[in-house]
Amino acid sequence: MLWQATLETLTMVGISTAVAALCGLPLGICLTITDKHHILEQPYLNKLLGSIVNIGRSVPFIILMVAIIPFTRRIAGTSIGTTAAIVPLTVAAIPFVARLVETAMKEIDPGVIEAAESMGASPPEIISKILIPEALPSLILALTLTAVNLIGYSAMAGAIGGGGLGDLAIRFGYQRFRADIMLQTVIILVVLVQGIQMLGDKIAQRLYNR
Amino acid sequence: MIRFKGVEKTFGGTPPVHALKGIDLEIPAGKIFGIIGQSGAGKSTLLRCINMLERPSGGEVWVDDLLMNDLTPSQLRQERKKMGMIFQHFNLLNSRTVFGNVAFPLEIIKTGKYKIRERVLSLLDLVGLADKIHAYPSQLSGGQKQRVGIARALATKPRLLLCDEATSALDPETTKSVLQLLQKINQTLNLTIVLITHEMPVIQEICDYVAVLEDGALQEVGPVIDVFTRPRTPSTQRMLQGFFAPRIPSQLRNSKNTLLRLTFVDQKAHEPIISKMIRHYDIDANILFGRIDQMKTTPFGLLLMELSGSQPQIEKSINFLKENLVEVEVLS
Ligand SMILES: Nc1ncnc2c1ncn2[C@@H]1O[C@H](COP(=O)(O)OP(=O)(O)O)[C@@H](O)[C@H]1O
Ligand SMILES: [Mg+2]
Repeated sequence: MLWQATLETLTMVGISTAVAALCGLPLGICLTITDKHHILEQPYLNKLLGSIVNIGRSVPFIILMVAIIPFTRRIAGTSIGTTAAIVPLTVAAIPFVARLVETAMKEIDPGVIEAAESMGASPPEIISKILIPEALPSLILALTLTAVNLIGYSAMAGAIGGGGLGDLAIRFGYQRFRADIMLQTVIILVVLVQGIQMLGDKIAQRLYNR
Repeated sequence: MIRFKGVEKTFGGTPPVHALKGIDLEIPAGKIFGIIGQSGAGKSTLLRCINMLERPSGGEVWVDDLLMNDLTPSQLRQERKKMGMIFQHFNLLNSRTVFGNVAFPLEIIKTGKYKIRERVLSLLDLVGLADKIHAYPSQLSGGQKQRVGIARALATKPRLLLCDEATSALDPETTKSVLQLLQKINQTLNLTIVLITHEMPVIQEICDYVAVLEDGALQEVGPVIDVFTRPRTPSTQRMLQGFFAPRIPSQLRNSKNTLLRLTFVDQKAHEPIISKMIRHYDIDANILFGRIDQMKTTPFGLLLMELSGSQPQIEKSINFLKENLVEVEVLS
């Protein structure tokens, strides 16, 4: 039972992190390069994207989850269960990832980007050869942070029948007074978070150290 | 050859900054051209107008027969590939090794892998960093980083090298070696170098021509030896004051005497003109300050000297000096 729930949590977090990274990275790049003084300055587009991201981030997850149920149904075919939970988790994580990507890329010394421009690099070349590689350690940490946050959110998703460790803790640990199960789920959650964080730190550290 | 025609630059903001004011300037090919001025004078802005990293608000920038202002973005990228640029803070990619950094501009011009390797190796040889090929920038000293910067800037065989305070973050020793490298490159590759600096010694060391910039306006332009030995504008004179001659303490000055500044250039610096003058005329000379040095390869000397004697004799001696010297200036 615990094993099953752990797998469900890992599936939810794994898939939603991956999809959020895939969508959040380009969005974060757009936020970065359309900003003032950057390679493709577009004030209006930048404002628009920024507002969308802010709105996405300001809706509490529990509300977002309920609010997008129709959307979830269309994508996942159902609004309950692990597969269904992946949709709101991903939707919540995309703006989060986008902001983290933007922050990571803004840390790059503008002089380095300018140097590339002075060599005649085009915007796509600057993105693929400068922005992403130079920000890579920070991007890894951003992804780690996202995964850790999603573990927390996935437990919340569990509360409304999303499966996984949160679901287990509530149904057995809380509603049936099984303190042992409650404790075990908490321990597994702690181990998961620690494990992901350590892995992320290690990879990032490796990249920083060169 | 680079030509500025009435170039203006105003940065918006409150209040707006008028960074370049009607710049007219010609930079000849194949020479080392220095632009000097204090911090905030507009040097970087001027330099960056050459490759349009900064777009002028008015006027024209010509590089050879191309009007840079009018190029489309993709034409501009094409032109930039033929220019190299180095920076005060090097601006290397931390995520790439020395090899990767020098390879970067070659990747941009789509050079093949094998060719890149060959070219990078020969460039690292040129700048004396072959043994650091696999090091990351964080493992290099400032001077080494700038050498990587130079190798990177030369990778695509540009005809023009732009240097933005390339030695300002380096200690004097390292500065010297980087300047020597620039001079070597200028001679062996017949590359035009435009460099900006706030340091006189940099101009003195390697530049053929110098332009003095103050508060966004060009003060004077000419061969270094001319501008340095015969500064025409007050701002250049002010800038050179501390560099060439110390302030003479007033106690040491005898107000009855005539104070002269003599500048000798080239061969004249070798001749015993002063002793000849003292033998020929009935005057006394008191030397307050003397210095002999060289501008790039031209030797020059500088003397601060007091003359005492009768007015006609002094005038005659000054005439004698003027006939024999490049420059005599009566300071008081
Ligand atoms: N991007 C910018 N926005 C606003 N003002 C600027 C900008 N870049 C430079 N300036 C201003 O223009 C003037 C000249 O700057 P700069 O060319 O960098 O001088 P220098 O290189 O001689 O120190 C300064 O007053 C500076 O503050
Ligand atoms: Mg500057």
